[in-house]
Amino acid sequence: MKNLNRYGYFFIAPFWLVFLVFSIYPVALTFYYSFTNYTGSGTAEVVGLANYTRLLTDSFFVQAFVNTLKIWGINFALQMGLALILAAIFSDMRLKMKGQSFFRAIFYLPNLITVSSVALLFGILLDWQHGSLNVVLMNLGLISDPINWLNEPATAQISVSLILTWMWFGHSFIVIMAGISGISTDYFEAALIDGANRWQTLVSITLPLLKPILLYIMITSLIGGLQLFDLPMLITDGIGSPDGSLNTMVLYLYNQAFKYNNYGYASAVAYGLFIITVIFSAIVFRSMYSSERKQARQV
Amino acid sequence: MKKTLSMFLSLVLLVGVLSGCSGSQSANGSKGGKDIDLRIWSFTDELKKPIKKFEEKNGVKVELTIVPIADYPTKLKPVLESGVGAPDVFTGELAFIKQWVDAGYWEDLSKAPYDAEKLSDQYVPYVFDMGKDKDGKVRALSWQTTPGGVYYKRSIAKEVLGTDDPAEVGKMMSSMDSVFATAEKLKAKGYRMFPDEGAIRWFAQGDAPEPWVNDKNELQLTDRKVEFMDYAKEMKANGYTANAAEWSPSWFESMDKAVKVKENGKTVETNVFSYVLPTWGLHSVLKTNVKKSTGDWAVTSGPSPYFWGGSWLGVYSKSKNKELAYDFVKMMTQDKDFLKDWAKETGDVLSYLPVTDEIKGDFKDEFLGGQNNYQFFLDQAQNIKPGIVTKYDQQLDTLYGNAVKQYTDGKKSKDDAIKEFYMKAKNAYPDITVPNK
Repeated sequence: MKNLNRYGYFFIAPFWLVFLVFSIYPVALTFYYSFTNYTGSGTAEVVGLANYTRLLTDSFFVQAFVNTLKIWGINFALQMGLALILAAIFSDMRLKMKGQSFFRAIFYLPNLITVSSVALLFGILLDWQHGSLNVVLMNLGLISDPINWLNEPATAQISVSLILTWMWFGHSFIVIMAGISGISTDYFEAALIDGANRWQTLVSITLPLLKPILLYIMITSLIGGLQLFDLPMLITDGIGSPDGSLNTMVLYLYNQAFKYNNYGYASAVAYGLFIITVIFSAIVFRSMYSSERKQARQV
Repeated sequence: MKKTLSMFLSLVLLVGVLSGCSGSQSANGSKGGKDIDLRIWSFTDELKKPIKKFEEKNGVKVELTIVPIADYPTKLKPVLESGVGAPDVFTGELAFIKQWVDAGYWEDLSKAPYDAEKLSDQYVPYVFDMGKDKDGKVRALSWQTTPGGVYYKRSIAKEVLGTDDPAEVGKMMSSMDSVFATAEKLKAKGYRMFPDEGAIRWFAQGDAPEPWVNDKNELQLTDRKVEFMDYAKEMKANGYTANAAEWSPSWFESMDKAVKVKENGKTVETNVFSYVLPTWGLHSVLKTNVKKSTGDWAVTSGPSPYFWGGSWLGVYSKSKNKELAYDFVKMMTQDKDFLKDWAKETGDVLSYLPVTDEIKGDFKDEFLGGQNNYQFFLDQAQNIKPGIVTKYDQQLDTLYGNAVKQYTDGKKSKDDAIKEFYMKAKNAYPDITVPNK
């Protein structure tokens, strides 16, 4: 009997090996490099906390942080709003929407397209002289001059936010639908009998019971959003133009490491990003759960 | 029995995992890794044919690994650092060649038995110079040269300038002032000189080019470069461009047809007269995008000579097969027969003078209306000053281009734009000194 236990370790060994080699080791090595002036070749000198003190006073990193939050925030608000509205419509017992799976697939499609294709597609759509968007807006008489979407800080950020919304609302929608289908229909039937209208059903039944799902979406989206990189990288010149408005934290990290060869500093940026992510996740988690506890006591 | 089975199963899993770690080696293994005599890494597929010829000639087997340019430095660097799964020969692009020659990844070709130093007068000077490290030792060689020119449409030149002869048109663009005079003439007839003001960035240095960073590690923003900001702004303000930024959809579109631009509040259709591109711009940009105006193009010189891009190759310093590796480098860069065929097949402008001297006489390109672009580019290449490229160039060019754009778009004053450029340069390269402004 004693011996048998040992074989379990052999079976979990592959996972742990992979995990150690590809996850723990790089993470630890990055931590070490964050204290050095490693440039990607040659030897690395330990420079103490220099990289971290630089990070704390780096205006470009602060700008990148603010940009990332802005782009993610706008995207998240729109994405959740859209996903919730659609979920409410599709789950409505009185409406009984047809073709649900068809729409689900359509909404989810943008998420399957690679980001490089998305960037190319929107690069063409948003091209300020010949892009369809400006042409349509001008023909409708909404604007008189073409707008250079990707050349103004504000419109560039909003453009990226909207593209992200388009890419991800289908995903959120599907997760929310799954959450709703986990809620017992008894509640909805009872609400129906009691004469609750759609809004009341949504606010008093669906949303509270969806809380764990919403928290899940929020945290995963936050973590993904803080790591926003590919779209800003591809849609302009790769250094966050115009005026640094698309310079996100990971794009900054990437440029420091792979363009400027400041691997040591880039490692410190990575740890800065990690700490920010932890703090934000904790805030979101606490704010959603502490309020619930209070309510429970009140009742 | 059970024990052996479970042991066996976990071993199988382990092997699977471990083989996953060393991707390139296991890939070689499956192809019969032991037969491979030479491993080559590059960022394009252009070496495919030369490798086939090399294999036939020497009776060896060569494996080519192609990594897209965006990932190339990041994939190659760790391999070169560790020496595990490293290539025997690898190519380098202009953007990172200066770092690599100094990093010691490439074998010192100046020493015996290579003695590449002796070849110095057989190459276009700047090309040979690029492959040297900071001690002047040859580390990498190139088969090509990539000087630039100005490609223009003959029909427009004839109509507006009265001639489509490249020499004559070149004279009308020999200085920044004459470029502006020509642009004014074109504008009067409803044409635009360039797609956008970014096109003239290659002439920012004027005829007195200085490296971005000097020996004392100081950033040098020369007066000429600062002056260039005004040229760029004027170019845009005077409406000499079609506002079609490089690589944007309208940039490509304007090569072949009229594009719409805003002028005095109304939209007008206009044709773009010329594009500032190097040798490869002809084959991989113009020829692939132009349908209607084939044959209506010609190439001439701008205000100052410049070059853009290019590939170098050398022998990995820790390679176990240096002799064969150098044989390949030799074939690519010094083999007369091979290079002659290569030039005729691809139109690539070579940097090996013994061959170019032989073939430049009767070269012509139908796309350029039968012009001998080979002779033209070789002349341009001879005028490029060696020693002005630094490892910082590509990034600093991008950052500076950004500053210029901020100024031309009217978003920042000249001083603010320059100040921000200094900040960004310092942020990217903390080891260089920037003027305290």
